[in-house]
Amino acid sequence: MIRYRSLVQSVRNFTDASPDASRLASPVSRLAVGVAGVLALGASTVNAEELKVWSGYPELAPFYERVAEGLSDKYPDLDIVVEAIPLREHEKRVALGLSSGSAGAVVVELPKSTASRYLENDLLTPAPEDVVAAVEDSGNYGEFFVDAASFGDTLYGVPLFRGQGALFYNTAMFEEAGLDGPPETMAEFTEYADKLTQRDADGNPTVSGWSLRLSGGGQGIAEKFWINMFQYGSNLMEEAGDGQWRATIDNDAGRAAFAQYLDNVHVKKNVTVEMPADAEAFERGQTAMFIRESWVIGDIAAKAPDLEYATAPLPVGSIALPANLFLSAEGDVARAAWDYALASNEAEHLVWMLDNVGWLPNRGDVDYSSVLDVTPALGAFVDYPEGYEFFTLPAIGPIEEILTRVAATLTDAFANADLAGNDSGIDETLAGLEADVNKILDREGLLAE
Amino acid sequence: MIKRRRFLFAIAALLPVLAIYAWVRVMPIAEILRLSLHRWDIISKNKPFIGLDNFRELLGDDLFLTALTNTAIIAFGVLAITIPLSLAIAGLIHHRTRSRFAGVWETAIFIPHVVSLVPAAMAWKWIFDAKLGPLNALLANVGIAPRAWLFDPVWSIVCIIVLCSWQALGYAVLIYLVGFKNLPKSLYEAAELDGASGLQRFRFLSVPMLKPITLYVSVVTLVSGFNVYAQAFVLASDSQGAPGRQVRVLVLDMLENAFRNYRVGYAASEAVVLLCIVLILTLIQFSLLRERRRS
Repeated sequence: MIRYRSLVQSVRNFTDASPDASRLASPVSRLAVGVAGVLALGASTVNAEELKVWSGYPELAPFYERVAEGLSDKYPDLDIVVEAIPLREHEKRVALGLSSGSAGAVVVELPKSTASRYLENDLLTPAPEDVVAAVEDSGNYGEFFVDAASFGDTLYGVPLFRGQGALFYNTAMFEEAGLDGPPETMAEFTEYADKLTQRDADGNPTVSGWSLRLSGGGQGIAEKFWINMFQYGSNLMEEAGDGQWRATIDNDAGRAAFAQYLDNVHVKKNVTVEMPADAEAFERGQTAMFIRESWVIGDIAAKAPDLEYATAPLPVGSIALPANLFLSAEGDVARAAWDYALASNEAEHLVWMLDNVGWLPNRGDVDYSSVLDVTPALGAFVDYPEGYEFFTLPAIGPIEEILTRVAATLTDAFANADLAGNDSGIDETLAGLEADVNKILDREGLLAE
Repeated sequence: MIKRRRFLFAIAALLPVLAIYAWVRVMPIAEILRLSLHRWDIISKNKPFIGLDNFRELLGDDLFLTALTNTAIIAFGVLAITIPLSLAIAGLIHHRTRSRFAGVWETAIFIPHVVSLVPAAMAWKWIFDAKLGPLNALLANVGIAPRAWLFDPVWSIVCIIVLCSWQALGYAVLIYLVGFKNLPKSLYEAAELDGASGLQRFRFLSVPMLKPITLYVSVVTLVSGFNVYAQAFVLASDSQGAPGRQVRVLVLDMLENAFRNYRVGYAASEAVVLLCIVLILTLIQFSLLRERRRS
């Protein structure tokens, strides 16, 4: 029998199996059981052949466990351990585990932008012929997704899902504000945000009209800024051929996007830096609209099932960040790992993921109508207008550093009220950002002439 | 002969400890020093020697300089709050040693030091929350306008200083209490006979005699202040719906450079700078104390 498990589940099983479980109620006993469970777990891994599945999204753990269960007949002696942890910790784990060789046999969920360093250093295993055939079958995946799982001409991964943005808006608040549909231009975003903002007697906003990502750590602030900038017609960086890149922030699109942030925060004050933000704020009715990926649909279903909301495509296009299953394994377990990656793309599992988690599967030849029919919010992610454009993060080594640095500068800039309406200040900030990005590209030998 | 045997026995007894110390303390420091002179992305096998290039780059790195400034402000801020406050609290507790509540005071002060850092920081994050936090609610009652404590560039650093001081206080008080209990009673009795008040005895007897303790506590507080990380990370964690400004501190910058930007050599050079700062400050503290003793 296959021994798939999560760590928590293992300890729970150990406790449940104990005949004296009722006597193990004290904290000390529980601690002892926990330690014993972990020791037992460690002992079992010595004997069984183990395959780890590393994900950066905790909400995907049930999906991966479900796939593991499905392989139990084929690999009865395989121990599949699903470890789904928050993204930033996942990235550190992958960096340390793969570079030190301590990861063992592992299926790793990564976007190509992050995987590129490991691919450059031969730390991930190229796909065998049958996997190449399955992935490169044009009926299964579009070229965009095959490219995202390849490095050079070699396929290294199996496409799985993508992060793609759309507008989430609270229909009840829209109705109350006399708005009968979502904003369709970036100017309307600000106009609608103004109408949707709820204020107290002193005029301070209590419910933000449009939740913008203004603070926090990590690169998310830069990614969200890039999405807004894209609506004005430009990317944060552009490829100039031969794998060379240059920053393109200091332009009209960058100026418009940046000025819009400052205008909303400091002039119109329909959102403030200290207000609750993102999915949680939306679920609690603390913001009227925000831009996010499809996983929020599953999150809302779990945490705020009565929320009245809808989704809409963005004015021009969206980020599409495909995540693939790469692997680092050798011998028999490598075969099992590839089978696991392929099994994760079986129609039954993908439909389940879309329905229960909300991430968008990349496989195109599967009938998702059963889910789309009952979850209309997914429509904005799959039925977008003709000419809708997508961008993805460049698959270059320093992309995380670039975005993190841009985010650090933007965080300070968003909080700087002196920049609102200050054209020269805005230009100076954008020029500084562009210089910072180009400096990193230059250091890495990636800067286009 | 017996002396030699004893000496050899002492060496043999110390060797395992010294070996462990060398393995877990000295070797990592040596490795960090070596790495700081190399360019390494944690993944590739090549680690080209680049001399002092990492250190040169540090001088022009705005994020590093911001992190260094923030860390120094936090470390000295914690020191400035912790030392006088812990000395005063320890003095008060010692003064009331015979009180039946003495144990309660000691425990109450020490608990923050043993409370797990993350839940404690989460609690403080709630206290400082601009919308839901009790701090703003309290200030509103006395007519003070609410503030975005965790977003304002200055106040977010003050918040970290408050949190770190709250945690450091318990340990410092405990060490001072040990010091108080070892002070010679005869001096206090003599001072009392000479008509010195409690405050005067504290000012002119306790404070000077506790200088070695003050040195130890200040070194420990300053070193831990320069190593601040989790407090800054949790107070401004980017969990959804919880806004907060990421106060950039040295350890955070190092971790980001090493494991996010894959620049281990560069992160190592930051660690070397931190090591030098802490060593220099410790030496200054020791030399100041020595000079005062001589004078």
